[in-house]
Amino acid sequence: MTWRSRLGLGGPAAVAVLVLVLPLVALLLRADWGRVLGDITGGTGVLALRLSLVTTFSTALGCLVLGTPLAWLLARSDGLVTRWLRAVLTVPLVLPPVVGGVALLMTWGRRGIVGQHLTAFGVEIPFTTVAVVIAETFVAMPYYVLAVEGAMRGLDPRLESIARTLGASDLRYLRTVALPLVVPGIASGLALAWARALGEFGATITFAGNLVGTTQTAPLAVYVALQQDPAAATSLSILLLGVSVVVLGLLRGRWVR
Amino acid sequence: MSDRGLDARIGLSRGRLRLDVSLTAQRGEVLGILGPNGGGKTSTVLALAGVLPLAAGEVVVSGSTWEKAGTRRLPEQRRVGLMLADALLFPHLRALDNVAYGPRSRGVPAKPARVRARAELHRVGLAEHADARPAQLSSGQAARVALARALATDPDLLLLDEPLSALDPETRARTRTDLARRLADYDGVTVLVTHDPLDALTLADRLVFVEGGTVSQVGTPAEVLREPRTPYVATIVGLNLYAAQSDSRGSLTLAGGGLLVTADPTPGEVWATVSPHAVVLHHDRPEGSARNAWPMRVSDVTLQGQSARVSLTGPLELIAEVTLASVAALDIRAGRELWASVKATEVFAYPR
Repeated sequence: MTWRSRLGLGGPAAVAVLVLVLPLVALLLRADWGRVLGDITGGTGVLALRLSLVTTFSTALGCLVLGTPLAWLLARSDGLVTRWLRAVLTVPLVLPPVVGGVALLMTWGRRGIVGQHLTAFGVEIPFTTVAVVIAETFVAMPYYVLAVEGAMRGLDPRLESIARTLGASDLRYLRTVALPLVVPGIASGLALAWARALGEFGATITFAGNLVGTTQTAPLAVYVALQQDPAAATSLSILLLGVSVVVLGLLRGRWVR
Repeated sequence: MSDRGLDARIGLSRGRLRLDVSLTAQRGEVLGILGPNGGGKTSTVLALAGVLPLAAGEVVVSGSTWEKAGTRRLPEQRRVGLMLADALLFPHLRALDNVAYGPRSRGVPAKPARVRARAELHRVGLAEHADARPAQLSSGQAARVALARALATDPDLLLLDEPLSALDPETRARTRTDLARRLADYDGVTVLVTHDPLDALTLADRLVFVEGGTVSQVGTPAEVLREPRTPYVATIVGLNLYAAQSDSRGSLTLAGGGLLVTADPTPGEVWATVSPHAVVLHHDRPEGSARNAWPMRVSDVTLQGQSARVSLTGPLELIAEVTLASVAALDIRAGRELWASVKATEVFAYPR
């Protein structure tokens, strides 16, 4: 590399690294380390973290169970319907989460197009833990479906021809060949979806509210703490940072690249 | 069950290709399908496998109808084996489990399926590689596992689409021998697609040439070698071929211009062949008995082992095969002008 390109590319690259890394360093520098453990275990922190873990892993499970078949169907067809469906499915990806929360209220809320019928049976979804999972799934599923569909499209279609002539139905091919071969794609899709769910704020607070122990996830708890006790917010943030790094690290070792 | 192994007419459109090909074969026969790329070879195989649906025609194998107007068996409902240029082993399964995949998919319990798979691996000489992952196998070994896998379900129809083309030349020769040996004790019909004349001549009992979506010539290798009927077939068997009008004395007027004389007259519309070995090249106009002599210009020279193929243009197009010594002695190179002669006894004519 010439000096010119070193400066021309290296300068912006260094700034990019600073933009990304500096806030993380700041978080670590400003933490009141004597308090971190107390902040996390006392108060609402531990409740919020537990709720976050329960809801994000439920979301990941939901993506796996519902999103994998969808990704499979999308990967196998190229019709007009599929292309439109794929475009529509990516809307939650770009939608401001708060708008997503409003849309969810219009669907599952007491007067929502589905919720009004549930109310008749005494079932109310908004402001429950179920609502948190629905909100997180709404924002996270597209990441999962797109990642897994991409991996499935990467499979050599001739493998299926071979498997079929050997006597495998399309479902057996999916189970015994396609799924084992896209495990890395499924893992990175899960990691993406889980991370997105963990950070979910806007749709959750709009649709599920901010009830301690029921719908107040860790990001909501951080936000609330910041209003009253910035040091406690920092402690919780460090905890979230740690959890994210650990979970992604576990996945990265095996599958995520 | 009759000896009739395969009775198929395959009509379908794929992109710009209109395919209409009829194939018949007895049980135990190896049918070689040759043809230029894009001519419909692979589509034929995929249609027989049930991967591509027919628009018209039918497929009957060993007396059972696999496909005809309105009814179609899915690939998994056909007793068919498929092997492609790339071995396409399931990369996450051991060699043994690759071979056992077919029997398992067809309902054989795990244990007998593995016993069968081990036997099939043994027959292609890979018993000791049963536990190997596909990534640990050489390309030739992977091809043999793919063959074992295709045969482990006892198919009535075995489809081999360019099975050797992805192998390097040395591996190809050895794998060809293994393939021939394994096919010898297979009693179903084999359809072998290839563009390699050597594969076709050494492995196939009968050759079917598919050009532009239709069958252009059918015959045993000996028949095809003796009497090619399209320019493509002539290229494959390495002969100069001319469409001509012959009079009763053996004088041939070529459709593309030029004259040829044969010692064995067949009046009427004929094909005429000249072996490249029969063409003699000279500095000057040859004296003596050769009744076919033309002034030519060398357009191309390619080496093949100890001989050279010389493409010539002049009153007619001609390919000559000469020794390297003649190349040096006559200073043969592109653009060089020289004389070519062929004895009348070396020109063969047969009705078109």
